[in-house]
Amino acid sequence: MERTDANLESLGRRVREALAAEDSAGDMVRRGRAVFLEEVSRRNAVTTERRSPRRLGRWLSLFFAASVGACAAGVWFWMRPVTFQVGEARPGQLGDVVESPAGVATPLRFSEGSQLLLHEGGRLRVLTLESTTARILVEDGVLDANIVHRKDGKTRWSFEAGPYRVAVTGTRFQMAYYAADQSFSLSTEEGQVVVSGGCQKSPKVVSVGERIDLSCAPTEVPAWPRPLLDERPSSNATADNPLSPTRAARGEPLWRELLASGRLSEALHAAERGNFQRVCQIATARELLALADAARLFGPSSRAVAALRVLRQRFPGSMESGTAAFTLGRIAFEREHAYDEAGRWFGTYLREQPTGPLMGDSFGRLMEARLRSGDSAGARTQAQQYLHRFPEGPYAAEARGILSR
Amino acid sequence: MLTPLTFVGDDAALVQALRAGHPGAAAALYDRHAGHVQLTLRSTLGPDDDIPDLLQEVFIRALDQIENLREVDKLSSWLTTIAIFVARAQIRLRARRSWLRLFSPERTRSWQMEQPSSDARRALREVYVLLDRLALEQRLAFVARHVHGMTLAEAAEACETSLATFKRRLARAEKRFLEAARQRPSLAQWLEDGTRWNEQTQT
Repeated sequence: MERTDANLESLGRRVREALAAEDSAGDMVRRGRAVFLEEVSRRNAVTTERRSPRRLGRWLSLFFAASVGACAAGVWFWMRPVTFQVGEARPGQLGDVVESPAGVATPLRFSEGSQLLLHEGGRLRVLTLESTTARILVEDGVLDANIVHRKDGKTRWSFEAGPYRVAVTGTRFQMAYYAADQSFSLSTEEGQVVVSGGCQKSPKVVSVGERIDLSCAPTEVPAWPRPLLDERPSSNATADNPLSPTRAARGEPLWRELLASGRLSEALHAAERGNFQRVCQIATARELLALADAARLFGPSSRAVAALRVLRQRFPGSMESGTAAFTLGRIAFEREHAYDEAGRWFGTYLREQPTGPLMGDSFGRLMEARLRSGDSAGARTQAQQYLHRFPEGPYAAEARGILSR
Repeated sequence: MLTPLTFVGDDAALVQALRAGHPGAAAALYDRHAGHVQLTLRSTLGPDDDIPDLLQEVFIRALDQIENLREVDKLSSWLTTIAIFVARAQIRLRARRSWLRLFSPERTRSWQMEQPSSDARRALREVYVLLDRLALEQRLAFVARHVHGMTLAEAAEACETSLATFKRRLARAEKRFLEAARQRPSLAQWLEDGTRWNEQTQT
């Protein structure tokens, strides 16, 4: 019996360790915080309009009577699969790339009533789709969204665009994301959304009529014109000929033009065809960051590491060099699970950019890296520093957890 | 407002602040307990795409029922009880979904298609495959006692049952789980660690 208890105790301990080692747990808690506080805020607003008890009682009676009749149909309705359609007739598949060719906007219609309109040149994927939740990855371009709000308040759609996250419960908005320089814009036409991630210190609510413009890129003047939220990408480029007519006149290499138009995957392939190492030697700092992003998203992470290391050699002391250190830390942490190395890179960022836009995130990630590498004392120190500087920050819950152990 | 005034105080003060509608209390509740609640949900349910939603549900339920909490210094264990309650409903829902999925076979859960990336993940998956075969209340008893590491009294309270009933459920769950686990080579290491540890302690 004693042996059985020891066996089960050991198994339970290993289960806890395996669960704690999963990478997604901290992100889930951090993302959930904004959604929870948004829900609290919404409920607080509704509380002021609460019905009187007498009316509420009558309403409840009616509700229960109706719910008995609707139960069977409701169960089926609730559980029925949600599907989506791309364009006029093509059934959508989870994970597939949806692209809008030049001159055409592609609608996506979901069976529960929500609709997306992907503008020309845009690219997205529907990652998950349930009766009340969906995750959409916007890889590039402009998107109109009209998300149906369920009356039970359980609608949870999230849009991911590079480092940005948009949490939606039901609303209409337009968003634009340009992968080449990680710029992001969103304007809300109805309801409100919560935008988090990127270089923001805390999530931001974007209410009806408001607009938010974000960019993690340095403020230098862009080397090429790019379309803004209310503009449309140039119609000079076509699906068959992705290059604009001006490219030949400017004499720019293919990978640079593709990078400028936000076609990261194609830009990466073009750079690889044209000798990736040589490309890294002639690319600007921003282009190297974009190439590294392309490699992280669509290629081997070794390519991203190569581009980032060249960036740090060629542009030491620049803000891009600091961003490269942070990105190297992320790759080491998320892809290679090399937590010591990840910690060194996050520390490098903090030394080089002590007031940089990724400072808070670097603090939190350094804390996580120390914890994962077994440096409990270092993690505690980092947790104390984090809470001192960011008592309400996205890593605060984790920091308190570390200090409470 | 997304970042309200910071709340300062222990859990008992936090409960009072939640009842009084302190603007920073909800954020403090989440910050202090979200990690623990999330781990409770994940360890009770295993891989489940709905855990982010369930995490929200636990905290929304907590806000709705905060007036019912009698022992204000036991906020953490009260949240655990809510998390287990929510997880119980989710397991029932999953069972209904699997029945309904007979009519829509294309909706296979994504986690069932994922390939385990390591021995630990493989073993973890095996554990939840075996737990899925236990009766619901036996599963909850097993997880509370052995995965959450609660004492018998704590686990019985979290599962909202008497100690005697809890012990009976747990004994059945342990017997069934161990019989099946010993047939699984991937779990041998996890079970043997305990035997070795026990032997080392005795010597």
